[in-house]
Amino acid sequence: MKQSLVVAFMLALAAVPAAGAQEEHAAGPLTVEGGLMIWTLVVFGLLLLILRKFAWPAILGAVEAREQALERQLAEAEQNRVESARLLEEHKQLVTDARSQAHGIVVEARQHADKERAVALEKTKQEQGELLARARREIAGERDRAIADLRREAVDLSLAAASKLIGERLGSETDRKVVLDYLATLDTGR
Amino acid sequence: MTRFGRTTLLLLGLALGLSAPGARLHAQEESHKPTSEVAHDLVAPGTQAQANRNQIDIVHHIGNAHEVEIPFLGVYHLPRFAPLHIGGLTIDFSPTKHLVFMLLSAVLVAVVFVTSARAVARAQAQGRPAKGFAGAMEATALYIRQEVILPNVGHHGEGFVPYLLTLFFFILAMNLLGLLPWGATATGNIAVTAALALMAFITIEIAGMRALGAKGYLGTIFYLPPGLPTALKPIMLIIMTPVEIIGKLSKPFALAVRLFANMTAGHVLVLALIGLTFLFQSWVVGGVASILATAIMLLELFVAFLQAFVFTLLTSVFIGLMRAEH
Repeated sequence: MKQSLVVAFMLALAAVPAAGAQEEHAAGPLTVEGGLMIWTLVVFGLLLLILRKFAWPAILGAVEAREQALERQLAEAEQNRVESARLLEEHKQLVTDARSQAHGIVVEARQHADKERAVALEKTKQEQGELLARARREIAGERDRAIADLRREAVDLSLAAASKLIGERLGSETDRKVVLDYLATLDTGR
Repeated sequence: MTRFGRTTLLLLGLALGLSAPGARLHAQEESHKPTSEVAHDLVAPGTQAQANRNQIDIVHHIGNAHEVEIPFLGVYHLPRFAPLHIGGLTIDFSPTKHLVFMLLSAVLVAVVFVTSARAVARAQAQGRPAKGFAGAMEATALYIRQEVILPNVGHHGEGFVPYLLTLFFFILAMNLLGLLPWGATATGNIAVTAALALMAFITIEIAGMRALGAKGYLGTIFYLPPGLPTALKPIMLIIMTPVEIIGKLSKPFALAVRLFANMTAGHVLVLALIGLTFLFQSWVVGGVASILATAIMLLELFVAFLQAFVFTLLTSVFIGLMRAEH
């Protein structure tokens, strides 16, 4: 049993060179028949034409249509994606612009306000200064007038007192001058 | 009787049925070439007379012939045409056994797919998938398209689908018809596979020309890698151009030889196993040989599908490689 198996395989192996040995006599397995080659091309060509016209469109048509639709949808989706990305970018740009614009506005307003405040402060200070100066001037005037009044009063009083004291009437221009001179020395001495 | 025993009996019966054409063939061989010594060369039988009586001419059986055996009716001799002389070539267009079976395959494929296409179209018009045989053919064609052709041919390879599908089913039909008793394998003839490979070669090269343009296509023959110093360019061209051309030619050559050799080898093996029965004239050897031959026939059935698939797949891959070349 086992031997016959071995023999069978040996036989099969040996058959190939035997096939080659015959090729000189007749059309062996390795002889290329030119006519048959041309026949093959013709038969295949005809079969291809027939199937191409009558078989493949119906069998593949549905799948091809579906594939094309799918491809179209894919292309559309891709286009939409690109479009939406562009829109998003545009919107981002817009938001950034608006933000920077708002920032500019705020900064500007702040600067403006600062300037306004500075101006107002300056003006207030100036007015205050003016008021102060006027008040000072008025005070000074009042004081001078008061001093003058006081002096006159003092002169009168001292003259009155002095005339009382010496029993005679003082009040001549000379007397007045003496007192004024004295007061002047006081003034400078102070 | 056990299940195994029944199966064995069934296989034996099948094998005996398959061996019948062999027996008929042997009878004819006697009258054609009584002096053939094939069997004698294979194994040394007991006597020369026994060898002559119990032989199967394997080479004759797998080879081409100008006659066709018709079951139960005898041998039909095909008409012979005078060979045409074109230039220095002599071409004989006479029909042969292999041509008859090739035509038969073509008609079979055409009938099957035209009727299937009609059934599919009818079913689609009714808004339902095709059923039965037409549905199976549709599914097979779609499988080959989706899984074999399109992924390998590359982007926008729809134009190659009709050619490659036809190629697959044509080869498959020829392979399968060769497995029938009284059948002949047209794909077991190197002329047929060479013609198919030639067609594949032309398709591959044209695909390359269309995908790459004239300049890109010439780049696949006269290969110059970018950045090569000018001084080295002639040397590169002298060395690489023959290599590139051999590379281009070896692909279709391999396609042709692969299909031819696979088909031929299987048949040689089956015939050799069946031949053992007649050689040894023994029930034991006959039974074992028949079982083995049946197993090999089942393998052949698989190989018939496989080789059609491989031829189509490799052609797709070569087209894809060519189109993707840069």
